[in-house]
Amino acid sequence: MPITTTRRRLLAGSVAALALPAFARAQGAVKPRLTAISQWSAGSDGAAITALGKKFEEKGGVWQHSPVPGFTTEMMNKLRAQIIAGDPPACSQLKGPEIAAWSKIAPTVDLDAIVAAAGYEKVVAPDLAKLHKPGGKWIALPLQIYSTNMLFLSKRAMDKAKADKTPVTWADFNDLAEKMKSGGITYPIANGGTRPDDGQKFEASLAGISPTAYRAAIMNLDKKALEGPEIKAAFVQVRRISEWMDPNVGAQPYATNLKRFIDGEMGMMIQGGWAQGVLRNAGFKFDDFIIVPGPSDNGKPVFLLNADAFIFWQRKEPDLQAGQTLMAQLVMDPAIQTMYSQITGSIPVRTDVDLSGEGWSDGQRRTAAALKDAVANNQAVLSLAHNMAQENGLTAAMIDVLTEYVKNKTIKPEQAVTRLAEAVEGAR
Amino acid sequence: MTDIASPATGRPAISGAVGRLPEYLMIWVPLLLSAAHLISFSLWTIWISFTPSTLVPVTGWVGMRNYNAVLASRNWQIAFDNLLLFGSAFVLLSLITGLMLAILLDQRIRGENVLRSIFLYPLAVSFVVTGTVWSWLLNPGIGIQKLVHDLGWTSFRFDWLVDRDMAIWTIVIAAIWQSSGFAMALFLAGLRSVDADIIKAAQIDGAGAIRTYWRVILPTLWPITITVIVVQLQFAISAFDLVRALTNGGPGIATQLPALVVYDLMFQRSQLGRGAAAAVLMLLILLAVLLPYAAWRYVQRRRATHA
Repeated sequence: MPITTTRRRLLAGSVAALALPAFARAQGAVKPRLTAISQWSAGSDGAAITALGKKFEEKGGVWQHSPVPGFTTEMMNKLRAQIIAGDPPACSQLKGPEIAAWSKIAPTVDLDAIVAAAGYEKVVAPDLAKLHKPGGKWIALPLQIYSTNMLFLSKRAMDKAKADKTPVTWADFNDLAEKMKSGGITYPIANGGTRPDDGQKFEASLAGISPTAYRAAIMNLDKKALEGPEIKAAFVQVRRISEWMDPNVGAQPYATNLKRFIDGEMGMMIQGGWAQGVLRNAGFKFDDFIIVPGPSDNGKPVFLLNADAFIFWQRKEPDLQAGQTLMAQLVMDPAIQTMYSQITGSIPVRTDVDLSGEGWSDGQRRTAAALKDAVANNQAVLSLAHNMAQENGLTAAMIDVLTEYVKNKTIKPEQAVTRLAEAVEGAR
Repeated sequence: MTDIASPATGRPAISGAVGRLPEYLMIWVPLLLSAAHLISFSLWTIWISFTPSTLVPVTGWVGMRNYNAVLASRNWQIAFDNLLLFGSAFVLLSLITGLMLAILLDQRIRGENVLRSIFLYPLAVSFVVTGTVWSWLLNPGIGIQKLVHDLGWTSFRFDWLVDRDMAIWTIVIAAIWQSSGFAMALFLAGLRSVDADIIKAAQIDGAGAIRTYWRVILPTLWPITITVIVVQLQFAISAFDLVRALTNGGPGIATQLPALVVYDLMFQRSQLGRGAAAAVLMLLILLAVLLPYAAWRYVQRRRATHA
């Protein structure tokens, strides 16, 4: 039965498409329908997108989400297969520069009119907005934001070190780590050893030392900046961080260390805002740790942006087009962004959402405040480790150098600078 | 050794070509299908390796650019060095372990069946499981090192998994655990097929057990040895799941292997052209092992028919 009705609707739709001007199509009597793929199937991510689907249905739409569990790349393989087969989903998860790369292989929807109607551009961080309008037109919409360089401090470790001030600059950070070490904490840093984790140590260091150098070297791949003194200083800082870590961590995720972190056996962790959700799900209390923006040598918060987004693929079916319009409106809606971020632990894309109310944590409030400050001071930059600054190929080539440097303590900072520049050259 | 494919003898002679049709269908249809599959995709991969494909396959010609890029990358150089080390160490050590196990089992001991099953059992476990279990055992913080520390020997160190110079050996250890049972089974069959009269003759001539093995029995095993080497080598070259589960190429990129590089380029970095070039390079390495083996088989067969 559903098949015949769909066919009839399609037929009616195509007749309408022939008969009516384009703008009338999406507003016809069709019931909006959305086919979507993402990797969000379980945990808070799965819960959040299911809640979004419910809202979509409340507005009279038909929600057809097919999650592809696993890594983002597996979702991409499915997306690639559907695009090659000529049957892309109406909307799919995609983020960062991949939006521009993928938009070259299949036609996307021009969202400019809908975005303008919502007045959305004014409330989105400029660097972030740029990623979602690669050809000058909006084709994708960011959904939620995480910062990859939040500093998590263990309260018990702070007590052991007899420290009460949260570090602002890298010098403060290093002092605190030394204090913790002499206070009996063998491993003051609780980070893990995965590729993105190693990448985060570097990007947090460089952006904290100089957001300008970060923008030039990492985001714009400026050759001179890539060999500049700030890069070397960042590698020196990364070496210090790696020496304060448990060498047994190998390639394990940071989550392995969470209990030791909370117990005060480890002191600090440079991690994305998502760690807050992980800590909460693991049963730890907000009183056990503090979240502040990552170290910044000029004292003003630096925000390393990581944002999930939806890209919209061109479809001829009027019901899918209506679905895309509805979805775009929902994603930009402050109430929907609030709902979504409260489930996942992220912060809303819109900088005008009020986080003082119930349902937000202190960590989220500080993150949102940091974003606002960082945008005002032009210190909001795009994360390399989480595929926001460069396309996957370039990112991976750079992270090869970073992860090897973290693991191999015989590599000198100046050698690492050369290797990073070479890796960029080789991958271009 | 491989008589499986030769036609059964002693059947009634009524059939002729029609009667043998099922046989032909059984053998040729799957053979042609799989050959066509294999060859067409290999050719396609070779073609892609010369195109500028990134996210999706595209047409175009870039000559050797993808190959040059792969060969110049640190990842591939590390992977290739690791393959040489891992391949030779793993094949040699699993050969020795398998042979030792086979000789020990060959002593007509009690419970041979049970022991044989135990040694063969790892082969029934998937590489992902092997890799995951060994990654726990070898992790200094939770595995063997911690156990020994807890027993009181606190200066004991066994942290190869997180030591970038030694990490490749953890893969050798896990791979040997997994597949020396296979070598053992083949060697045991070989040992059992040695003519008992020859052994008796050696004993009558006064040869001891070691001498009998060294001079009489082992020389008859060399065709099996070559088979074991070839099978293990092609496992070593295509090793993927074990490494991915055990070290995932780490610490850093210290335990990269060619198959990981191919997967990484194609599916993580969206560089189809370079990934295909790396895959073709892997095929060439594999051919470097398989072609001499095929030639050797051919010479053997010629010699057998001439004799």
